Amino acid sequence: MVFRKFAPRKKFCRFCANKDIELDYKNVDLLKDFITDRGKIIARRITGTCAKHQRQLTGEIKKSRQMSLLIYTATHSTHVHKRTV
Amino acid sequence: MNMTYETLLLLSPELGSEGSKEVLDTLAGIIDRDGGQILKNDDWGIKELAYPVKKQTRGHYVRLEYSLPPDKVSELERNIRNADGIYKFLTVKLEQKTEAKED
Repeated sequence: MVFRKFAPRKKFCRFCANKDIELDYKNVDLLKDFITDRGKIIARRITGTCAKHQRQLTGEIKKSRQMSLLIYTATHSTHVHKRTV
Repeated sequence: MNMTYETLLLLSPELGSEGSKEVLDTLAGIIDRDGGQILKNDDWGIKELAYPVKKQTRGHYVRLEYSLPPDKVSELERNIRNADGIYKFLTVKLEQKTEAKED
């Protein structure tokens, strides 16, 4: 077709493909793959994670944020304050 | 029947090794008193925080794994809240049950 220049690579759920990956709030390096630079959780439309694992993932990211292992936002209020003063 | 739990504590970096040991000893005492048992004591050391907590950019993480009767967890959490130098904590119930410990 004309408007479709290339076939996008089929996305797959990383957690279904590899059962050994432990989805855990302490596993910060893994969770970092699923948030943007600004700290937003990336939609499963983009990452290809399945619904079941996306639900778990969301929970773990939020736990991780609570414990200050991940960021809520790139500009936390204190940072902003520091910059303006 | 005891369940296995895990608590991640974020301690103040100013507490030092002495102070943090003291805090952990009190918690261990409480777990022991309520018929629980500490299974693992995992010290992550002082780490950089993702965002400042109480104006500190660094924090001392300690992960405790223990078995405790379910109704005693709130009691432990109450004690954690009262303790000085603990900025944040998170308790998670772990999958497997502990069969070994009987009361």
